[in-house]
Amino acid sequence: MRGRGFVMNDFTIIRRSLSARRLSTVFTSLSVAVAVALMLLLLMMRDSGRAAFERGTGNMHLLVSADSDPLTAILNSVFLAAPPRRPIEHAKFEQLARGPWEWFIPTQIGDSYQGLPVFATTPEFFTKFKPDPQEPWKLSTGRFFDKNFEVVLGARAAQETGLKLGDKIALTHGMPMSRTEGADGAAVAAPHVHDEFKFEVVGILQPTGGAHDRAVITGLTSAWILHAHDRREKAEHEHEHEHEGAADHDHAAHDHHEELTTEADLIDSDRKITGIYARVITRPGADSSAMIPVVFNQLRADPSITVAQPTQEIDKLFRIVGSVDRILIAMAGVVAASSGISILLALYNSMEQRRRQIAVLRVLGASAVRIFRLVLAESLVLGAIGAAAGIAIALLGARIVASEMKARLGLVIEPAITPTLGFAVAGGAVLLAGAAGLLPAVVAYRTSVAKNLRPLG
Amino acid sequence: MGNEFALDIQELQFRYRGTDALVIDLPALSLLPGEQVLLKGGSGTGKSTLLQIIAGLIDPASGRVTVAGQDMHALHGADRDRFRGSHLGMIFQTFNLLQGFTAAENVLAALMFSDVPRPRHRARVQELLGSLGIARPDLLVEQLSVGQQQRVAVARAVACRPAIVLADEPTASLDPENAESAIELIQRTCRETGAALLCTSHDPVMVKRFDRVEDLVKLHARAGVRDE
Repeated sequence: MRGRGFVMNDFTIIRRSLSARRLSTVFTSLSVAVAVALMLLLLMMRDSGRAAFERGTGNMHLLVSADSDPLTAILNSVFLAAPPRRPIEHAKFEQLARGPWEWFIPTQIGDSYQGLPVFATTPEFFTKFKPDPQEPWKLSTGRFFDKNFEVVLGARAAQETGLKLGDKIALTHGMPMSRTEGADGAAVAAPHVHDEFKFEVVGILQPTGGAHDRAVITGLTSAWILHAHDRREKAEHEHEHEHEGAADHDHAAHDHHEELTTEADLIDSDRKITGIYARVITRPGADSSAMIPVVFNQLRADPSITVAQPTQEIDKLFRIVGSVDRILIAMAGVVAASSGISILLALYNSMEQRRRQIAVLRVLGASAVRIFRLVLAESLVLGAIGAAAGIAIALLGARIVASEMKARLGLVIEPAITPTLGFAVAGGAVLLAGAAGLLPAVVAYRTSVAKNLRPLG
Repeated sequence: MGNEFALDIQELQFRYRGTDALVIDLPALSLLPGEQVLLKGGSGTGKSTLLQIIAGLIDPASGRVTVAGQDMHALHGADRDRFRGSHLGMIFQTFNLLQGFTAAENVLAALMFSDVPRPRHRARVQELLGSLGIARPDLLVEQLSVGQQQRVAVARAVACRPAIVLADEPTASLDPENAESAIELIQRTCRETGAALLCTSHDPVMVKRFDRVEDLVKLHARAGVRDE
């Protein structure tokens, strides 16, 4: 005798019942799966999106820039969204630097390399600022820059460009795809490559998950020299124009300009700073200080600058986004409720066809409670199948969303289903299915044996 | 009392809820272990109802039904269901097999709710279906011929080695030739497994196959009992 069909237990009954209504089983568990996947995706994205934003600000207390508002300041100078429209005057920087700072690091963005932002700063950025409050920068290879015309690549910048230590690159003045207004507010020529200055790759950072991962990081002085060179070139152009008159000059052809700009040529207006990362002095081991609000309020009174507390701005951002994802989560809740109803209907409708089967099982010795449990278990199984499929869909969906976010926004999110989240959502789905199975189970419990055994016809 | 009987009924009365008329009024009916009795009576005489009372599926207004020494209606809920699953077998005119399940699973279903230890189930099902000539116990019951379905129904009724098998018009939907072999099969199987048999029928042909024939209408005590 063959083995098939020689096992009979509650699960056999549930399995046969589910496969007898295969189409309905597929669709009801699919509806649970969609609800679970939606819910998980939204929660996952919210958590990892928040984590991605929180990763960027590290151990900075305040950000100072000349942007129009604090949130823009954070998005521009920390998440490198776009170059700020106005720089901080150099005299202002020197004035501000005299505050109660543990460190006060000037930064500048505005240049690019193959579409990646160039982040110009001082070596203190690597030694004092930590991208994660607990984790300082770590190199995966090479060293931090200590001379002009050296660059350190963020992990993703290195990955995307394929650059290695010792490679020489030319930076582009300006950002492609971004507004063509310079940091000084004046319109500048279309982005152009400064072939005359070669930057050497001296280090590659380990990934942090923050926006700096996609930055090409170089010394502030080097960036200033690029600007100074532009300024001098322009002046020379005008000079030549005065002499030669009508001749049309190709701006990119620098062959007439033989003298390279050096640090000695810098004047104050070249020394553009677009953002300052600052940390107030704290007691050893403490992350916060009572001085922060005092300094914050003092700086806020200065109309020429904008000061932002990164944690507050990110909270603000997530309050805006939060109301949207509350709506989305509520929608996922509605999908979950409707999947519960579809389980209820599927089982309830099947009860009509199963009255006879239930009556027979009762004659064979199954108690009413056992029948109740069978139907309830069946809906739990539907819920569990749906939850498992939902988790799979969510994981797949998260990978797709994450790679889209990376490709389109450059935002690195690492969506992951934490065990807590997974159990909570999957458990919720199974419980919902169980609740949906209660009414059909009660109908099954109350099915009259005597009435349903009568011969048909 | 009643311990020596497979089935012992005393002073049994039944009426439908909300009605006064007695449908069943049976002073006494007993079956010895292994005894086979045909219960005659036209349709509507309460034969099916009586079998359901014996099986504990419905409760009488009064009286006592003892199966294998146990007062059936003194048991409640899951205890009564389990007792029925372990000591009583039922065969129906329409077989009432579990559709969508194999022949073997149908018989196993009778064992899974009984007191029979699980390790013995498989062997017992193989033995029973083998002796009844079911060559393919792995086929779904709807894939079997009517005759084979009947055999599966009989196998299911005796699977737990019941004290008594209740057969409700088991041959009513069969042609005379098949009816003959069906009742032959039921009687032989009950004899072989030691189960008493209480079979209802209004088919006069059945009478000659039973040593003891009772007429439900005549057993009824009072004239108030419905008779068509």
